[in-house]
Amino acid sequence: MTSLAVMKNVLRRIARDIRTLALIVILPLFFVLLYGNTFSGSYSHLKVVVVNADNGLASVRTAEVGRVTLAVHLASSFIDALDRGTFTVVMADDASQALSSVGKGVWAVLVFPKSFSNTVVNEAVRAGGARSFKFEGNTVTVLPGDPVDVPLTTVAIDDSNPLVAQAVLAGLDAAFAKVLDTQQSSLTVKSLLDVRPLYEGKIKMLDFTAPGIIGFAMTLITIMLTAMAVVRERTGGTLTRILIAPVSAWQVTLGYTMAFSLIAIFQAVELFVASTVLFHVRFVGSPVAVALVIVLFAVGLQGIATLISTVSKNEAQAMQFVLFLLIPSIMLSGVFWPLESMPASMRLFSYAIPLTYANSALRKVMLTGYGLGELSFELVVLAAIALVTLFLSVLSMRRQAYTA
Amino acid sequence: MAEEQVVRAEGLRKLFGKHAALDGLSLSVPQGQLYGLAGPNGAGKTTLIRTLCGLLRPDEGAAYLLGWRMPNTRVRSQLGYMPQDFAVYDDLSVMQNLEFFGELYGLRRTHVLGRANELLDLVQLNDRRRQRVGTLSGGMRRRVSLAISLLHKPRLAFLDEPTAGVDPMLRRSFWDYFSALAEQSVTLVVTTHLVEEAQRCHIVGFLMAGRLLTQGTPSDILVQTKTTNLDDAFIALQERDQVKS
Repeated sequence: MTSLAVMKNVLRRIARDIRTLALIVILPLFFVLLYGNTFSGSYSHLKVVVVNADNGLASVRTAEVGRVTLAVHLASSFIDALDRGTFTVVMADDASQALSSVGKGVWAVLVFPKSFSNTVVNEAVRAGGARSFKFEGNTVTVLPGDPVDVPLTTVAIDDSNPLVAQAVLAGLDAAFAKVLDTQQSSLTVKSLLDVRPLYEGKIKMLDFTAPGIIGFAMTLITIMLTAMAVVRERTGGTLTRILIAPVSAWQVTLGYTMAFSLIAIFQAVELFVASTVLFHVRFVGSPVAVALVIVLFAVGLQGIATLISTVSKNEAQAMQFVLFLLIPSIMLSGVFWPLESMPASMRLFSYAIPLTYANSALRKVMLTGYGLGELSFELVVLAAIALVTLFLSVLSMRRQAYTA
Repeated sequence: MAEEQVVRAEGLRKLFGKHAALDGLSLSVPQGQLYGLAGPNGAGKTTLIRTLCGLLRPDEGAAYLLGWRMPNTRVRSQLGYMPQDFAVYDDLSVMQNLEFFGELYGLRRTHVLGRANELLDLVQLNDRRRQRVGTLSGGMRRRVSLAISLLHKPRLAFLDEPTAGVDPMLRRSFWDYFSALAEQSVTLVVTTHLVEEAQRCHIVGFLMAGRLLTQGTPSDILVQTKTTNLDDAFIALQERDQVKS
């Protein structure tokens, strides 16, 4: 009976706390919707750039009329066969420019050589034996010729995410297989492709996810620490006492920011060292670039935490709001799942999450060794987030003094 | 020259939902006065102090401290505020608390140490200066809070229930100290729900349901209510007020 009284009391108190009640009801539904909408189970919108130099012609030897030239356009057929549900295909003219774009938002670049159709048809006949087909109204027999040098189709692939790289290759294989089927040959896909992985297959799944996981750990610890500390300061009355002293909300916020940024930086160093020493996570870039990303990221997180503390009446509420922020952070920031494979509506949320930019920047530095110049977009966004949240946290600090 | 009104409230009204915590309250406190704000729990004492300090915005009326309309940042360095809750860092020592707030008021370390000695003597915590505040009793923590409020020698101090939970001997020494501060031209507004304590003040304001029932010197109030002690005076005022309404 006593237990029942305790249970009743706990439930009654929660029922009186509208925000906690709302979070209890909304959070599970929110997670399910998030999960269901984000992880659709198949990749989509993977950007592939195609340079089609194939002239579409195949010169073959026939038994009846000697050498004839057929217009078969096999590269075009291949491009048409690419699954548009998986790939976003972009055509380009300049092969070297296209090849340099791989890894910069482009998962694969395909360059079809001029004689692609000719090679495939002749090799198919050579591998599969003589065959007949219609030519200018007559049935002719194509005879196998001498082996030709196979000018391979170059496939440059971003293998930073091994799972996506596998999916891209599988998609390309399927499209090639469809085209080769029309040639009734035993020619294999592999014999036509010159696959060039950007990272030479050296990147493990752990390397790909580590920058995001480190960023997530920073988000978790920094936001939780800061939000709890500010809420405790407010509910304990010391925040009012601080803000009634001749100090501005700016000075107080800056003090908080410096303290928690220092803690975040210390933790980040710990995370990086442990990841690289214990698990040999790839780190080929500059520690200075990583430090800059971390500082901007930490300041932004601190600002967000202060804002959370404004809307939280107590530590329990702060904790729930933190969860409300953390789960989308890990699901929508591209740590595990490429942003482009998410539904457009979910991607809007991704762009509002600081971890998206921190993850992208850290990945660029750690996996690729990019310098500050290549991180400029992420750094500008992280700096903007830091400034805006810092400004809002000053306003929030001022407000908290009046609501304590 | 007219006497300077260090604290001035004009028609303050503060609503929490439909409940008026302050209901058109006006008062003024001249410089160097020890003003006792007495009243039962829920009378509006804390709300009044917070509104005067600029921590709550009134729905109607205005508050002026040291001539500035509140809230105003220029007043802060001259203002001492002791909230009703402890508002101290439990995880820091007594001295660390004083040092931190001293820094916020721009006091030099040597100055803080000197003031800390003086105030810790007053609140009888000099032997506990290195002890963590969280390990002190409630009454002791309140004493730390009082020391923090007076650390920077404010011209005007609002002390919300500074003697709650403090033993009678120490309470008496607090009131002696408040009187001594008032003699040095410091203006103090002190709340208490112990009406007899208000006897020690120069001016007493009786607060009830967000309204000031009366204010004056303790002797004037006794004459006005034809009573012999402030407890009886307060009951008489309450009864008169109930008859009126």
